[in-house]
Amino acid sequence: MLAASCGQAPPSGATVVTFPGSMLGGEGAVLRAQLQRFMREHPNIRVVQRDTPDAADQRHQLYVQWLNAEASEPDILQLDAIWTPEFAAAGWILPLERFNPDTNAFFPVTIEANRWQRRLFAIPWFADVGMLYWRTDLMPRAPTSLGELEQEAARAKARGLRFGLVWSGARYEGLVTVFLEYLGAYGGQILEGGKVVVSSPAGLQALTTMQDEIYRSGIVPSSVLTWHEEETRFAFQNGDAAFMRNWPYPYPIMGDGAVSRVAGRFAVAPMPAASNGAPTAALGGAQLAINARSENPAAAWAVVDYLTRPEQMLERARVTGQFPTRRALYDDPALAKSLSVPVAQAREIIEHAVPRPVTPVYTELSEILQVQLHRVLTRQIDPARGLARAAAEMQALLNRAGLGPGTPLAQH
Amino acid sequence: MRGRKWTGADVVIAVLLLGSAFPFYWAIVSSLTPEARLFQKPSLLPTSLVLDHYRTLFAERGFWVPIRNSLIVAGTTTVFCVVVGAFCAYALARLRFRGKAPLLALILTVSMFPQIAIISPLYLVLRSLRLINTYPGLILPYLTFATPLTVWLLVGFFRQLPVELEEAAMVDGAGRLRTFWEIVIPVALPGLAATAILTFLYCWNEFLFALSFTLGPERQTVPVAIALFRGRYQVPWGQILAAAIVATAPVAALVLLFQRRIVQGLTAGAVKG
Amino acid sequence: MHSTDLRRGLERREARLAWWLVTPAVGTILLVALFPLAWTLWESVHLHDLRMPWLGRPFVGAGNYAEALGDPRFWSALGHTGFFTGISVTIELGLGLVLALAMNRATRGRTLIRAAVLVPWAIPTVVSALLWRFMFDDQAGIVNVVLGTIGLTHEAIVWFIRPDLAWVPVIVSDVWKTTPFVALLLLAGLQNIDAGLYEAARIDGASTWQQFRHVTLPLLKPALLVALVFRTLDSFRVFDLIYVLTGGGPGTSTEPIALYTFNSLLQNLRFGYGSALSVITFGVSFVLAATYLRLLGRDLTEAKS
Repeated sequence: MLAASCGQAPPSGATVVTFPGSMLGGEGAVLRAQLQRFMREHPNIRVVQRDTPDAADQRHQLYVQWLNAEASEPDILQLDAIWTPEFAAAGWILPLERFNPDTNAFFPVTIEANRWQRRLFAIPWFADVGMLYWRTDLMPRAPTSLGELEQEAARAKARGLRFGLVWSGARYEGLVTVFLEYLGAYGGQILEGGKVVVSSPAGLQALTTMQDEIYRSGIVPSSVLTWHEEETRFAFQNGDAAFMRNWPYPYPIMGDGAVSRVAGRFAVAPMPAASNGAPTAALGGAQLAINARSENPAAAWAVVDYLTRPEQMLERARVTGQFPTRRALYDDPALAKSLSVPVAQAREIIEHAVPRPVTPVYTELSEILQVQLHRVLTRQIDPARGLARAAAEMQALLNRAGLGPGTPLAQH
Repeated sequence: MRGRKWTGADVVIAVLLLGSAFPFYWAIVSSLTPEARLFQKPSLLPTSLVLDHYRTLFAERGFWVPIRNSLIVAGTTTVFCVVVGAFCAYALARLRFRGKAPLLALILTVSMFPQIAIISPLYLVLRSLRLINTYPGLILPYLTFATPLTVWLLVGFFRQLPVELEEAAMVDGAGRLRTFWEIVIPVALPGLAATAILTFLYCWNEFLFALSFTLGPERQTVPVAIALFRGRYQVPWGQILAAAIVATAPVAALVLLFQRRIVQGLTAGAVKG
Repeated sequence: MHSTDLRRGLERREARLAWWLVTPAVGTILLVALFPLAWTLWESVHLHDLRMPWLGRPFVGAGNYAEALGDPRFWSALGHTGFFTGISVTIELGLGLVLALAMNRATRGRTLIRAAVLVPWAIPTVVSALLWRFMFDDQAGIVNVVLGTIGLTHEAIVWFIRPDLAWVPVIVSDVWKTTPFVALLLLAGLQNIDAGLYEAARIDGASTWQQFRHVTLPLLKPALLVALVFRTLDSFRVFDLIYVLTGGGPGTSTEPIALYTFNSLLQNLRFGYGSALSVITFGVSFVLAATYLRLLGRDLTEAKS
């Protein structure tokens, strides 16, 4: 459904708002349905959908192209978790205070990830969180520490399982999200103010742990270094792994006995802590923002507001299994029926969620970090040197961009 | 003709003909092959032919739109350039004035520009004039390379015309401009036509500017639209090839109809210049 | 005295008319080509990152150029461009010459030959690139099938994920599209050679090869040089072909300088840095063009004498 957004005369008095989004499968269906309902309730606003690529970097590139050209369309943007500060700092999206959004209703971490210079630039739509999948038939409860996780994994391997633990370790953004969770387990951070602190002792411990899991204890196969989310899912789904770290999307798939060998035999928990840290879940998901050059910001806000209401979030959870970002919904029995993941576990994991560094140059920082992390994990360089090099490059980038420590923009 | 042995030259020509034609043959056959069979082991001779891809191309993808855009942009640019270029070329070919050689050098230099060299300022200007993703926003940059090209080709054509015609007219008292309008233009019509076609072709084929200065299907030209075809799960080769054939057919037709003139124009400008 | 004045008056009128006729075209060129070029130069000495408006547009002098010279991806891009230009121009000139010689001999099927020459040249590069992309596809492509059938390979080659092999479809596609055009240029040059010279050489007892070396080649030099200049400059600014065929990949292993500049400008939005890259690209091609033109000029005057 490729809708041309101009050249169509709306009924007199109607404002036309363009909404780019995925038209695929369940997501596309529920979005279309919700927009239809919205248009019935708001007869003077017409929402035109625009097909955009599903791959995140392609969509990002398209947005950058449109926004940089100062196009007034699309009016609404569907942002990945890491794009908000970038677009906000470039002046491409509207700060939303003028619309008085009810920020307290959402999980604080999801709101904080969408702030830049203390102003809110996007509304969290649904949340994705990294979580630990564990085999309920192999152990009585989820491991409460990283050490316990490794022990259980080793034990499972000794008993004949192919892999102890699997995560996506190819050289891409996913690797950074995995690393983020290990980093949180040791109480570390990537960025603090404008200072890169990833090469701290906590960082070193986290990366060394990951490396040791592959080469010392062997609980993680080295093939993960070419895996993205799907290969990781296959490994766990075929019953070859005791633990998997992945996003929520595999949950309903693996619950289907027709395709999964572990249906009914797994559960989820946050990635556990090690020393000095806390259980950590990398935060992903989508947010809705308004084009700064939109000609109909009020109408655009009406759409955004509607789509992020509790009823719509519940419906979305039912159809696509995506986690709502409103806290109160997790007490609602309706959500328990909609989500395949048990509600209490989902809430616990979201409450341990940590965003990636909220900075406009996150994509470039991530590139640098990915390269060094992967080099360490493929043993081309040792963890200390790899992290030091990454930190130096990242800091240089931040300084060049006027985002280093002490600069006004560093105080996010 | 008496059957004679194939010489080396004949072999080379045969290879040329086959090599030229084969990709087109293959594209046409594949564009008529059903999607499912496309990714199976390809065979040289088609087994089943369907028009599905062409239908989808126009019904679902609205391929008329890029065609319309290309026609408007290339057409407008050509008209402007041929008119403006004809005057300039006549002056360069026939009139004497100081600064002719440097002008010719300038025109030649600009035609050899790497276009990428001026993308950044063009983008910034078009953006501030809110001309990104509009027709003028493409036509203006197209004038960069189309004008020198047109002038260059027309200089070549005008120089080939016999001077006697103009001299006769001027002896009879006609001024330069009248001579140009009433004597030269009618005689140079074939050359003008060939120049117009070549200019149109260059604009039709242009990619870099069209890619940089358009944002979506409403204003994208044919090359950009085809290059950016996206499929849901895998590359939609059937449709891409169908679009390629559709994009190529008018070009091929034009070229075949005017081939002699085109060759004349290209080689005259290049070798004699 | 009177007639000289008259003549001078006429000359001045003619010159004035000439300038009137020339101004629209030249004005357009100045406006849309030269003025932007000057602006690119200005941009190249400033920092202008469209993603970071808070940094403003400060003057950085040679900063961008220094960064380019220290940028490995820049040097790779330049290297890729040189590699592509060198190989494709060599093949095209060689094959083009062979073709031109053959076309010169051909007496029948002139129309067909001309069609075979013009159509590949006339279609959009994007279309040609897509045709070859399809033919080199590892699953649906005919090239792998042919290679397998004649026994050169055992399994399907995935051309586009191997940094060394990805150049093959690129060069094949470029050669297919432009060799015929080169042949046309050379053919025109061949047809300019006086047949009498061959006659004389034959009478003197020269073999075909000697005729070629001593009659054809020297007299074809101007046309060869023109073809060389055009093809080199065209190859140097290659963009469409690679954008569509490999996207510069795998990774950046087939990325030419024009694509790197484009990415810096419109993907990374670094207009200052991208402008510096543009200026360097322009500079190199200008130097190339100037060198060739000097050679060309010298050879043309030599050939005439």
